[in-house]
Amino acid sequence: MNYAIVKRLVLKDWYLQRWAILASLAGVVATLGIIATGGKVAFLLGLILLIMVIISIGAQMAVATIVTERKEQTLPFVMSLPISYREYTASKIWGNLLIFLVPWLTMVLGSFGLLLWSPSSRGLLPYAVIMSTEILLSTCLILAVALITESQGWAVAAIMVGNLAVNGIGYVVAHIGGIAKGMWGPTIQWSGAASAVLLAEVTTVALLLGGTFFVQSRKKDFL
Amino acid sequence: MNNLSVHFEGVSKVYPHFTLDDLSLELPTGTVMGLIGANGAGKSTTIRILMGLVHQDQGQVHVLGREMPREQAVAKLDIGFVSEDMRLYGSATLAWHMKFVRSLYPQWDQSYADTLLRRFDLKPQQKMKGLSHGQRVKAALLLALARRPRLLVLDEPTTGLDPVARQEVLGELMAVLVDEDRTILFSSHNTSDVEQISDQITFIDRGRIIASDDKEIFLDRWRRLRLVLSPDADLPSLPGVVEVGGSKRLPVLVTNRFDPAMVSACNDAGATVQAVDPMTLEEIFVANVHSRREKQTV
Repeated sequence: MNYAIVKRLVLKDWYLQRWAILASLAGVVATLGIIATGGKVAFLLGLILLIMVIISIGAQMAVATIVTERKEQTLPFVMSLPISYREYTASKIWGNLLIFLVPWLTMVLGSFGLLLWSPSSRGLLPYAVIMSTEILLSTCLILAVALITESQGWAVAAIMVGNLAVNGIGYVVAHIGGIAKGMWGPTIQWSGAASAVLLAEVTTVALLLGGTFFVQSRKKDFL
Repeated sequence: MNNLSVHFEGVSKVYPHFTLDDLSLELPTGTVMGLIGANGAGKSTTIRILMGLVHQDQGQVHVLGREMPREQAVAKLDIGFVSEDMRLYGSATLAWHMKFVRSLYPQWDQSYADTLLRRFDLKPQQKMKGLSHGQRVKAALLLALARRPRLLVLDEPTTGLDPVARQEVLGELMAVLVDEDRTILFSSHNTSDVEQISDQITFIDRGRIIASDDKEIFLDRWRRLRLVLSPDADLPSLPGVVEVGGSKRLPVLVTNRFDPAMVSACNDAGATVQAVDPMTLEEIFVANVHSRREKQTV
């Protein structure tokens, strides 16, 4: 693997998506600002907007850097460069993850900071950790589907599944005894159930990314 | 194999509705090969296999001494590739593209890039989405040429260009040929473009190579003979006849093994040769394709 080439390709996508990255960052900061104003309505509205912005940027990046590259026929240009399929796949995974991590980390640090700052909502922190990781997992699913299929239709289907998963898992996790118990309390109660869910999420992320590399390396037609 | 820039041996690729069948091809270093075929003949598939972008099901492919597709990343350091369906990033400028490509190719020649900018009348600060098709092709060609590739692979680069842009592109390709070590594979269904710059010609039809030789050999050996037969004479048996047309009294033969001695052989057989017409590459290609397809249906 030529990491210097991978880095160049990642930087290329960063440059081409710079305005989307900045817009998503501004969106995250704005929604965190809404949450910080206090009040139940502001909290709920800010939370919904925050999740929407984060999921949107992950989906937008996968579509813009992978599906659109094929659709707008810039893929032949990229593949004419001195790269292999593995390097292309690596650059797309790293590029998309790093781009996503900018608003995602801003969201994680900002929301965790807000939860810790307000003593009455500290109990929500384990749930916030699980749901932040779930959003990361949903983005990895979209990324994997976009890379393997290079199809807009399949990418849209993955976006829908990822969105439903965030809502569904959010509901299920909120009703797991070990997690639900201390959720609305003033202290952080990290349970075995929370660890198990988090481990399952991280393992799924690893499997999705590893599986994407595996499938890509077996592809016979790249154009 | 050291003096071969491209070497295909028994290459096959099967798709549901198309098969590239047992393709063998040699492109010596320093030559310009024109790959001519109708739409859907297999030109682009051949080129994609050459570039390592499509894996062959069978056979061996070596490009610049590298095994493809396994060593495609290293091989592509010395290949410039432009295809008709290649687009550059619409939101970025040509200057950005040049900087990006330069960062990947140590042998990038900036002064040559500047020369091409002037020759093609391109503005570095212009975004790709504002360029015409002709300007986009020239920009892609600039990015391919300025990396000083040992092998230039062009897949239908002149398709859709207006006559002026086409001549500019062909003119630049001819200028590139001054470097004797530069090898070019040029695919097109436009035979006149190929004829202008190629010294070797390969015809491909329905996934098979049907003929491959020096351009001059094609042009020298292919002739159309217009005969007048006396009422009691039969059509003389001539070597390499691939097509017989006209009428019984005024037959028109196409041969791929013309020899001036044929004229006297015809006279001896009671047929008068009215004319021996040279054929264009397009006529040779069409006759070749018809002849092969007729043989396949028999």
